[in-house]
Formats: sequence, C-alpha cells, structure tokens
Amino acid sequence: MQASNDLRPILHRRLFLGLVGGGFLSTAICGPRGAQAQPAPASASAFVKSTGDRLVAVINAPGPIQDKQPQLAQIIESAVDVDGVAKFCLGRFWRTATPEQQKQYTTLFHSVLVTNITGKLGEYQGVAFSVQQAQPREDTTIVATTVVRPANPPTKVDWVISDESGAPKVVDVIAEGTSLRLTQRSDYAAFLSHNGNSIQALIEAMKQQIASNS
Amino acid sequence: MSAYRFFRFHLSVMGVFALLSGCATPPPADDPDAIAEFKEADDPIEPTNRVFYAVNDALDTYMLRPAAQAYRYAVPPRVRGGVHNVLSNLGSPVLLTADMLQGKPRRAGDATMRFLINSTIGLGGIFDVADSLGYPTHDNDSGITLANWGAPEGPFLFLPILGPTNPRDATGFGLDFVMDPFTWLGAGAAVSTLGWVKTGANAIDSRERVLDPVDQIKKTALDPYATFRSLYRQHRQSEIEAVRDDKAATIPVWFPQPAPPSASPPVPQAAAEAGPLNQGK
Repeated sequence: MQASNDLRPILHRRLFLGLVGGGFLSTAICGPRGAQAQPAPASASAFVKSTGDRLVAVINAPGPIQDKQPQLAQIIESAVDVDGVAKFCLGRFWRTATPEQQKQYTTLFHSVLVTNITGKLGEYQGVAFSVQQAQPREDTTIVATTVVRPANPPTKVDWVISDESGAPKVVDVIAEGTSLRLTQRSDYAAFLSHNGNSIQALIEAMKQQIASNS
Repeated sequence: MSAYRFFRFHLSVMGVFALLSGCATPPPADDPDAIAEFKEADDPIEPTNRVFYAVNDALDTYMLRPAAQAYRYAVPPRVRGGVHNVLSNLGSPVLLTADMLQGKPRRAGDATMRFLINSTIGLGGIFDVADSLGYPTHDNDSGITLANWGAPEGPFLFLPILGPTNPRDATGFGLDFVMDPFTWLGAGAAVSTLGWVKTGANAIDSRERVLDPVDQIKKTALDPYATFRSLYRQHRQSEIEAVRDDKAATIPVWFPQPAPPSASPPVPQAAAEAGPLNQGK
C-alpha cells in the first residue's frame, strides 16, 4: 500500500527512517528492533486487540451512551497519545503559539477528542471487530481491523500505532481511508485562516464547542 | 506617475476579476508554511465554492435531510435494505463498465455474477443473494477510472446539487450518466417517470445512510466546509488506491485455489493468514 499524496508530508516526518528504508523495516518485522523503531507488528496487533475489546465491552454494555462517557474517556486517555495528536492537529501553528496557549489548547483538545469520539460511538451498540494484518509504515505500525455493526456493511478501520511517547499508543484512526487527525488538522487550519490565524480565537471556539456539546 | 497609475489600474482589475471569479487570495510569498497549506487545500475558487456549499447546505437542511429522516422513520430497516439493493443492482451496467475499463477482471466478474444472480434469484435485486455466494459488493465509477488512467485531479470544486467534487470526478459523473443504459432506455411518460423515481430514490437512500455521520460532522467541526473538503479528498484517494492495488486472482472462491507464491522475505503472520482470497477487500 502506498501513501496517498495527502499523507506524504506526515509520513516523511522522519527522513532518517525513510533513508534507511527497506532493510530497516525487514529487521523490524523479523524480530529484534532498535530503540527508535516502530512497534513490532505482533505487539501492535495485541495492543489494538486489547484496546478494541475494552471499547467494545463498554459500548455493548446496557445503558445510554452518556453514562459510559467516563469509562470511554479513561480508555481513550490511556490508549491514545492525545498530547501528540493535539500537537499534530495544530500543525504549523504549534510553533507560533505561546507556551500558555499550547497548554490551554492541549487541555481543551483532550475533552474535544473524548466528546467527539463518544459522540460517534453512540450509534455503535452491537458492534464487533476483528484484527487483520499489521504492517510497519515509516515510524509507525498500521493495524488493519474490520468493524461490523448490525445492519451496516463492514467498515475498514486502520489504527496507526506509534512508540514515540514511550509506550505503544494510538496516534491516528483511519476509517475507510479517512484519517481522523488529518481531517481535524484541516478543520483547524481552515478555521485559523478565516480568523486571522489567531490561536486565541481557536481556543475560544473550542471552549464554546465543549460547552454546547456537553 | 504613469507606472504608479498602471499599477493601481492593474490592482483594481485584478480585484474585480477576483470578485467575479471568486478566487481565493494566496498567502504572501514570504510565508512558506502558509503557502504549503494553501497548495495542500488546492481550493483556488474557495469563495465561490463556499457560496455553493451554503446553497447546498440550505437545500439539504430544508429538503433532503427531512426527506431522509421521514424515510428512516416511515420505512422499516429491512425494506430500506431491499430498496438499497434494488438501486445498487440497477447501477450494475455502470459498475461493470468501470471495472472493465480499469482492467480488473475479477471485479468485472463479481459485478456480472451479482447482476445475474440478484436480478433472478434475488427477485429483481431486492435480496443480495450473490454476496453469500462469494460475489461481494463493491463500488466503482468513471472518476476512479480516469484517476487510474492518470488523469489529474484538478482543484477542489463544490457544485450545486452535486456537492464536493473536482474536474476529474465531475467528468466521471457525466460519463457515468452517458454510459448508463437507463439514460437511453425507451421513451414516453412512464419511462421518464421511472427515471426520476430512480434518481429521487437514490438521493434519499444515500442521504439516509449518512444521516448520523453528517449530523456528527456538522456538530463537531469548527469549519464544516473544510472538513467535508478534506474527507471527500481522502475518501476518493483511498477508493482510487483500493482499485489500483486490487490484484485479486480471477479464480472464483468455490474453485480450488493455487498455493500462494512463497515470498522470499518473511511475511507477517497475520498477512499470510489472510491469504489470497481477501486481497480484493
């Protein structure tokens, strides 16, 4: 599978890995891996399986989705590199933000991500999922899964797992070819370009969004 | 003085032109990050696109979405599934043409068998019998064909009624319409009425299937237009790649499969388990 044009800039973040190329990837598949390597496919698959099982157990438990929010938030916070995703989604504006703004934005991003994901999961009652193959790509490992909901065609969902934060964490979810973090980043970029590139305006908008959605 | 006047005149002409054509203003040349972002969005007529987005959004809010909601409320899921199957089955000629033009014999075979089986045993396409017989459903259109033939995508467009697209996909949409035998089928009031019913049913069926995701995007996106733009691009790109990377064997599922070629580098366990059958997925 080749990276799409849209994905290329991110995937090429680490020129080093790109240069070392195939030989490096095959050693990562075979077994022992370096300190900066992507997670081994087997361990990434196991991580996705256990995280997915936890999510499915909570979603399929009886009761309305609102009551499950704390449990889902806990799983998301432990399995997702939220700080890393937050930084990614702000893109080039991360560098222009003041440390105070970075802190405020990251805190808000945590609750935006949790409400967005739990909002999406509300209609997933009765969900089941299966883990397919895992393959390394650049400094991450992509684990393919199929999500099946009653009365819906099966959905292809890829989980992008990275070791960058010290432990295997989810850094992106790609549903039917659409990346969650890329979409979020383009949303923020468009908002910022229509609001004079003001990070303060973005922070206010996020606050408002959290207030209206909770 | 004259140079200055010329420059002013030039600026004002450019300004009028930009207003008429609704061109997005590129960022200043000394800001490489902003320029990279502008190129990535590839939306040179963004102001015009946003006008059409607003028009379509209003049409959707007051007409299509309520119609889709009423359809979901009034019609039980199983009947809706049957309607969807009939509509998909009617799309088979366009699907098959795209599969063949892309040189994908296995997909073309699936499309043919699905049409034959579902039109007969499936009672005019109401029941998707072919899926359980090993001929899974797939999507395809002329936009994907053009992409795989190497046609460039072109800038992002948001067209009235049609919605998010680009010159390549809009051309593909036109080609699909021309290739569709139902466009040319017979004449007379009854046939054209059926054609309109099919178009209307397709619109309501597709809208009903995305009611929840679209509501969710409008609720959570700070700039829904930009979010739909990004989603549309990514989704099309993944569809194009799925067709390009589909190297499925032409041997049907029920026929004894050849042994997979022994790869020289070790294949990950799970990939080996998936086997050749699932490659078309």
